[in-house]
Amino acid sequence: MERPNVSPSRSAAVARHELRLLRRDPVFLLTFTLMPLIVMAFIKPAFRYLIAPQQGISVNGSEQAVPGVAVMFSMFLVGNVGFGFFREYGWGTWERVRASWASPAEVMVGKTVVPMLQSAIQLTILFGVGGLLFGLHVRGSILALGLVAAAFCVCLISLGLALLALCKTIMQLNAFANLGAMVLAGIGGSLAPVNALPAWARAIAPITPSYWAMRGFRQIILHGGGPLAAIGPIGVLAAFSVGFLAFALRRFRFEDVKTSFA
Amino acid sequence: MLEVVGLTKRYGETTALSGVSVEIASGEIVGLLGPNGAGKTTLVSIVAGLRRPDAGTVRVCGIDVATDPISARRRLGLAPQELGIYPILTVEENLRFFAEVAGLRGRPLRQRITEVAEALGITPFLSRQARFLSGGEKRRVHTAIAMVHRPSLLLLDEPTTGVDVQTRGRLMEVVRGLAADGAAVCYSTHYLPEVEALGASVAILDHGELIARGPVEELVRAHGRAALELTFEGPLPPEELVTQLGAEASDGRLRIYAQEPALEAAAVLTRLGDHAHRLRSIDIVTPSLEAVFLSLTGRRYGAQDEATSEADVDGEAERVPVS
Repeated sequence: MERPNVSPSRSAAVARHELRLLRRDPVFLLTFTLMPLIVMAFIKPAFRYLIAPQQGISVNGSEQAVPGVAVMFSMFLVGNVGFGFFREYGWGTWERVRASWASPAEVMVGKTVVPMLQSAIQLTILFGVGGLLFGLHVRGSILALGLVAAAFCVCLISLGLALLALCKTIMQLNAFANLGAMVLAGIGGSLAPVNALPAWARAIAPITPSYWAMRGFRQIILHGGGPLAAIGPIGVLAAFSVGFLAFALRRFRFEDVKTSFA
Repeated sequence: MLEVVGLTKRYGETTALSGVSVEIASGEIVGLLGPNGAGKTTLVSIVAGLRRPDAGTVRVCGIDVATDPISARRRLGLAPQELGIYPILTVEENLRFFAEVAGLRGRPLRQRITEVAEALGITPFLSRQARFLSGGEKRRVHTAIAMVHRPSLLLLDEPTTGVDVQTRGRLMEVVRGLAADGAAVCYSTHYLPEVEALGASVAILDHGELIARGPVEELVRAHGRAALELTFEGPLPPEELVTQLGAEASDGRLRIYAQEPALEAAAVLTRLGDHAHRLRSIDIVTPSLEAVFLSLTGRRYGAQDEATSEADVDGEAERVPVS
């Protein structure tokens, strides 16, 4: 049995390598960061009418459009964790990585740092630029907003690892990641406020991480919540993360051979 | 440097390795030979810690791969059979990643990349993305990655597959240099002439078993009998004639061992009588690794893999076409 062994410098070497790969092909990240801003512009007016009667406060629609679109598009990055591994299978480099000086733990840490960073950058830009462009007024604590976003990022990466463990081919990963992002985002209240969803969807919404992220964001943005108000959603997101990680650790085998396009 | 004892590996009903034991000393090059499916890649993978054996032990520099795989891996460099490079990164970035993971930084890292690139003739491509290289250039980068951290044990699994003559020559030169510097090299191949050219000792695998181990000259002296091989159109001649000729029938051919097979050929043709008209070819097998394999297994080297057999025996047997 290989003993747990994590050297920060070796994990950092793996992470730097992943950054080089991202630098060579940043189109995915750029697209999924810039496109949501356009989508926000489309749907903001509709949300103004949808959430105003429910909340009984002055809103302009960005209160739902910005976090909703940010949550949905950040879920599209979930597949990135798995793609980072599947491309190694396709390039024939996975066996080399396994035979290198890096331990499995160092490889896993190094390879998840960059997707985490991507999610963080994406959410920061969507909330920052989206907020500025569409007049988002955060009534509560910005710190609390950041904490919920951070917990959501961790949850997404954990979900990505669980998907990687589950999928045997890149096509499975692609299907689960994209369809999952749409469905989970929709049920969780990203596409429309949960109160506007059908009863069956409202009933199952709390079993999705997106619901808790949206609930946290709404508490802070609309109701002026602070860090205390964020504790509940952060706790549930952390529980989701632990569950996804436990599944991934139990199911993923470093020596598994998976099928990529190549 | 490498001690493999009683290694056994099964994939379901198939036995890939059966009780294989082999040692490689520091500074030694061992040509791991065998036809496709002989178990070479499985052996290399187990030594590299990529697969677990069903039985047996592997020690790299005295470290048991099963109990301390990470420490063992840090003593070895692996170039797997399948090409493994990052196509969208430059050659320099490919080398840098594996060097950094091995703990090299700053000037020693740059110096080592320069050395390895120089040795394998990839210096002009260091700043080029790997996807733009030719097949032979990619194979050189692939091999360079395995040696960038100066491993004590180098595992090269069919490093010359699909490469041009120039690349093959350069790779072999580098391998000889590494061994001269004290590295143990396990060089898996199914090209027999390569091993002879390397001056390596050999370990021959067949159907997962180690059937011979030692210096090429010793094995050839002990087992490499010269022979004539006759191939016929239609069935082999009757058994009485086969016995009269002192021949063995195997793989649909007749094999006649002789000190001077070329001289024997004329006499054999006469004794074949009418059956000589059905002769398709006469092969003269000279004492060589090919003859060693033939003698130990009763089969031509690569006979299981017709696609590669012609290339494999080139230079090992002289084929005399019969019109």
